[in-house]
Amino acid sequence: MSTKKYWKSLDQLENTEEFQESAKNEFPSTSPVADLLSNEKLDEGSTNRRDFLKFLGFSVTAASLAACETPVRKAIPYLNKPEEITPGVANWYASTYADGSDYASIMVKTREGRPILIEGNKLSQVSKGGLNARVAGSVLSLYDTARLTQPLSGGTPAEWSAIDSEITAKLQAIDAKGGIIKILTNSIISPSTKAVIADFKAAYPNAQVEQVVYDAVSFSGTLDANQASFGKRALPDYHFDKANVVVGFGADFLENWPASSGYVADYAKLRSPKSGKMSKHFQFETNMSLTGSNADVRKSIKPSEHGKYVLALYNEIASAKGASTYSVGGELEYADTVKKAAAELLKAVGKSVVISGSNDVNVQTVVNAINYLLGNYGATINLNKQVNLRSGDDKAVTQLVSEMKAGSVDALFIYGPNPSYTLANATDFNEGLSKVGLSVSFSGNLDETASLAGYVCPDHHYLEAWNDANPKVGQFSLAQPTIRPLFNTRAAQESLLAWAGKPADYYNYIKSYWATNITADWNKALHNGVFAKAKDIPVEGEAVAPATLTYTDNSASAASAIAATKAGGEWELELYVKAGMGEGQQANNPILQEFPDPISRVTWDNYITMSPKRMKELGLNHLQGQEQEADVVELTANGVTVKAPVCAQPGQKYGTIGLALGYGRTKAGKCGDGVGVNAFPLISWENGVSHLENTNVTIKKTGEKYHLAATQTHHTMMGRDIVKETTLAEYVKDNKSGNPDVLLNTTNHGPQPPENVSLWDNHDIAKGHRWGMSIDLNACIGCGACVVNCSLENNVPVVGKDEVRRMREMHWLRIDRYYTSDMTEEKAEAEGLGAINKFHQMEDPSENPQVSFQPVMCQHCNHAPCETVCPVAATTHSNEGLNQMTYNRCIGTRYCANNCPYKVRRFNWFRYRDNDKFDFHMNSDLGKMVLNPDVIVRERGVIEKCSLCVQRIQAGKLKAKKAGRKVKDGEIQTACSAACTTGAIKFGDLNDDAMEVTTLAKDPRSYNLLAEVGVQPNVYYMTKVRNIENEA
Amino acid sequence: MDNWRAHWSNSLKALSLTVLVACATISASHAQDGEKLFKQNCASCHTTTTKKLTGPGLEGVFDRVPSEEWAIAWVKNSQNLVKAGDPYAVKIFNEYNQTLMTPFEFLSDEEITAIFDYIKNPPAPEEPVIVDDGGTEDAEESSSTNPLPILFTIGLLFFVLIIVLSGAQKSLQTLVNQKAGLPAPQDRTFGQSIADWFKKNKALVTILILILVLGGLKYAWDEMMNIGVYEGYEPEQPIAYSHKIHAGENGVACVYCHFGAEKGRAAGIPPANVCMNCHKYIDEGPSGKGEIAKIYAALDYNPETQTYGPNQKPIEWVRVHNLPDHVYFNHSQHVVVGKIECETCHGPVKDEYTVGKQFAPLTMGWCINCHRETGLQMADNGYYEDMHERYKGKFKKGETITVDKMGGLECGKCHY
Repeated sequence: MSTKKYWKSLDQLENTEEFQESAKNEFPSTSPVADLLSNEKLDEGSTNRRDFLKFLGFSVTAASLAACETPVRKAIPYLNKPEEITPGVANWYASTYADGSDYASIMVKTREGRPILIEGNKLSQVSKGGLNARVAGSVLSLYDTARLTQPLSGGTPAEWSAIDSEITAKLQAIDAKGGIIKILTNSIISPSTKAVIADFKAAYPNAQVEQVVYDAVSFSGTLDANQASFGKRALPDYHFDKANVVVGFGADFLENWPASSGYVADYAKLRSPKSGKMSKHFQFETNMSLTGSNADVRKSIKPSEHGKYVLALYNEIASAKGASTYSVGGELEYADTVKKAAAELLKAVGKSVVISGSNDVNVQTVVNAINYLLGNYGATINLNKQVNLRSGDDKAVTQLVSEMKAGSVDALFIYGPNPSYTLANATDFNEGLSKVGLSVSFSGNLDETASLAGYVCPDHHYLEAWNDANPKVGQFSLAQPTIRPLFNTRAAQESLLAWAGKPADYYNYIKSYWATNITADWNKALHNGVFAKAKDIPVEGEAVAPATLTYTDNSASAASAIAATKAGGEWELELYVKAGMGEGQQANNPILQEFPDPISRVTWDNYITMSPKRMKELGLNHLQGQEQEADVVELTANGVTVKAPVCAQPGQKYGTIGLALGYGRTKAGKCGDGVGVNAFPLISWENGVSHLENTNVTIKKTGEKYHLAATQTHHTMMGRDIVKETTLAEYVKDNKSGNPDVLLNTTNHGPQPPENVSLWDNHDIAKGHRWGMSIDLNACIGCGACVVNCSLENNVPVVGKDEVRRMREMHWLRIDRYYTSDMTEEKAEAEGLGAINKFHQMEDPSENPQVSFQPVMCQHCNHAPCETVCPVAATTHSNEGLNQMTYNRCIGTRYCANNCPYKVRRFNWFRYRDNDKFDFHMNSDLGKMVLNPDVIVRERGVIEKCSLCVQRIQAGKLKAKKAGRKVKDGEIQTACSAACTTGAIKFGDLNDDAMEVTTLAKDPRSYNLLAEVGVQPNVYYMTKVRNIENEA
Repeated sequence: MDNWRAHWSNSLKALSLTVLVACATISASHAQDGEKLFKQNCASCHTTTTKKLTGPGLEGVFDRVPSEEWAIAWVKNSQNLVKAGDPYAVKIFNEYNQTLMTPFEFLSDEEITAIFDYIKNPPAPEEPVIVDDGGTEDAEESSSTNPLPILFTIGLLFFVLIIVLSGAQKSLQTLVNQKAGLPAPQDRTFGQSIADWFKKNKALVTILILILVLGGLKYAWDEMMNIGVYEGYEPEQPIAYSHKIHAGENGVACVYCHFGAEKGRAAGIPPANVCMNCHKYIDEGPSGKGEIAKIYAALDYNPETQTYGPNQKPIEWVRVHNLPDHVYFNHSQHVVVGKIECETCHGPVKDEYTVGKQFAPLTMGWCINCHRETGLQMADNGYYEDMHERYKGKFKKGETITVDKMGGLECGKCHY
């Protein structure tokens, strides 16, 4: 070792005091500023005060003059314009969304080659023009900055050709030794993809190639029960449009069910009281689900009681039908309700549906028995026209994991699922994955599983790719690219074809597959997006062909197993799936993260739902609000402990908790990582089947606090009739029941309608157009697809959790959710309660409340209070009845927002685009591609609000003018009305008698929100009618 | 009498001249028919020179083909000849990649002969006429010279005059005083004298200052109102395209290239393949081949094979009309529904050698004025018939219903 010494300076050599002092300060803090200011001759310096002011003045002027300079803008036309594109004119393409759990035939709106909006395809007999929030929001996932831009080999970027030759060589080696190749997929409903997998298998004849289908939320129990009962492992198709009575047991068939969009449309058909008849819906469930909140009669039960309630219902039906009954094994709290449901069901033989969300094969077997006894097979339940979604086999997945751990799997291809995140035993899976010689993920993002795979061969986003789907027997649809692939990705099918030694051209593959197997008329199928093969769709009435499907009654063993179910512990857990997040595939989608949960109205989080009563007993904060912090508890199940905040959920069964799946991602991307907790490890696996229920969990208070961001923190209507309600019986007696005319007392003229008592002169609303809307509260199920599409259509910014907590969310359209309260005006009077006490109690929702949903957007008042207070006339009334907002005039006083009785005006507290503090889609060039070029992105400091999609109105009028005809009914749709699966939102010209909306506005059920305020809105609501007995 | 005779003979002369001219016209009409027919039917694939287009150049074609009768048969239906196995026909067919020539069975033999005559005697290639519009513009420029320097010079002259005169007055005063035996006037500085003058003429000075201040304010106001207004903006463009040649001289309809104007929001700059509809055949303009070659270069176009190559480079035009982002303007609304001529907003493009020049100020005031003055085009439009029915009683009979009367001045019609 050298003994040489080097000095930086003489000071160091001498080791002076000054040096020692300065050596302590690595970063000297003396600055010339202090010297300068302490200089006594400062005044004599060359720059005096006057000079300074001159410089200041000059630089300000120069800066402002420079700001006036308009930058030179380039206009670059196409060199060779594609025939179908006209710049400025939108193109619509029919395509298909299918991710194994959700399916929708969709219409994709593209502008200059960029997909910007998704609406439902009305030609589809499966999704019936509907879509849910996740499908609507999926267009933004295309522009996700976390998407992989190129294939990876061992975590480093690689060329496709190199990867292809490496993988092919490895596969050939495996084939030569007769090894095991597994392809792990979610439920693939694409017939061409299945054919590609078959081709891949054929290319490696010596190896054992097997496809394992895995659904994170499994329907294995139902599939196995159908196998046992009918010899067919399939999910049946339901006809809710023929089901006069629906009894659901924890089945969220309106939101989280295979092909639920079509069911929503069907369900809504029988929910209109117009004919004096409505379907009757009973729901027994643990958590408050979207389906349960729409039920006429809802009872909350514990997960451990689920099977017993099903069995009790079976007993009622069986005794009436003369079939054998079984012991339930205990008393049931709501035996009366079960009796009522049974009575209704027996009145509607062959016209009812009993449906359960349990993954327990025994429960599903009994459900099959009930439906069989009721003669629903072939009438409302069709097992021949099976649903191909959610065909996953839990047992095969369990076996795969153990084989992987044993090291016997030579190659694993993962297409679709994300098991390292969604499997309860993800650590086992990850351990097994490390033992697999060749692991390939097709994930488009470097997710939890892909980051562990040897090769990542990113698939296209579905909007960039060709594909097809066969969601139900006989029903086909096509997916076509609506944009050229943004990145160096390749369709998974093309990768498989390439490794099978076939030409990697999936487009021609599908085309020839369709020509041989499906239809010769490719162009028509592609144009329509859907194709129904008539010969495969059984004629009604013969859905269960006796020759092929015979019913085996195996309810006895199932019943004894159910009766033997042990009562749960102190706490029972039911995991569920949220409307916005699903299984977490789109966790990095900021619009879906900020989408308020339809029930809890909470954004950007999952949380433990608990009954408020139980929370009060435990001393947990059951209130919500900007400064109300939720208590964090530790939840232990299956030996796994997670910490999560607790959110009060009226209607949650006492002694149970709920927790949503799909959160707590670690490798989703900047928006999704670390949002909420991962609940998948809490899924319990029994006998190789996964269960979302866990009947024995423990809860421990931690004393920690956590902020939840909810868009609605007040839950009841406080005795006002914001959502007007009546019962079917009352409605049949009097069509105006629940909706009496609003009259105001005047000094000299007695009671008068509000429009006669006004300070303002009337606008001339009887002439020309008067755009308006009608919202049927009976049809609205609160799904929120409209909220997502409104945000996408109108470039509504995402503001993030902290701003939502401050009540600064920007959604132009919100869906208010109200719970009923036990305290009413009448009850308070009878009990002699004082006003303060009364209102205090009214704030508390009932233990099991009735729920109503009400979409609220700008009501476009004819006597708009916002217009009169604007000091700069930034908000004015149009001659077509619209309340217009002119952003450039707005100076941000927010008087209008204060004066709006509906609280629909939103203020831009910040500049939400190009702002690192709001690092969502508007902060990157990629994310901004989703913006609608017909609508401006608002600046900081201005108010914005629903415009009734004025850009669509103008476009619709222009279309009519160009064609030289009047505007047709239904031609102009707002983003929300177009997204509405149930047809609850109707839009049109209230001055045109030929339009549906005009008829609806004159319906006896129609009313204006807060009519007594006298603002005369152009938006009408229709009274909610519940199919319940008056006393219920 | 003489007068009458003279008149008569003049008339006769005129008559005979007319007849002569008519005869000459008739003799020339054959060739003209040929030219017209050639341009109508043949010119999109053939030239009268040796230049190949889709089909061969026709200069000296009659030295190549077997006979003129053969040529007539070929023009009428070339496939018949090919099918019949005519050796020359088959040779030509194969030489041109088996591209079918459109059959012209509707042409009579005479008409085809007229075309042949035209091909045999094609017009001499025109010398490119370069119109020097710039020169005339310069002349206009000099005639309307800026008045400021003149005013400044005049002002300076007056100032010198005042100094000279005041000097003269001073010496005169001294003389007068000398004569009167008074002391010479005090030798005041120029500043003092000015100040004295100001004191004497307070009213005048006030008025002058007022005028100066007001004038300054007016100037500042006008300048401020012009911020962001780029009337006359004419940036340099990558290709020296001329609207005068295309839309003016050749009468190409505006919407042939700017097809977006009838369909949607943006009129659009035509894609290069629209240029190629004509410029596949026309590779030379008045300034030579250079400018049109830029289109070929952008498309990587090979005139020999008539195909676009892989090395395409977009043409980066500079946008002339820039509306702010917060305005929604739709061309088709104005062009199709409002039936507004393009020139109303874009100026006399047909008469100007410009690529693009902002003619209108594009201010909101300009938009609104037009909306106030322009009547709606309601005739034969079912939409307006329906509206008219609804607005019954609102308007007087015979009243022009202008855009603003139907809400055309409302904020929400253009800003959303």
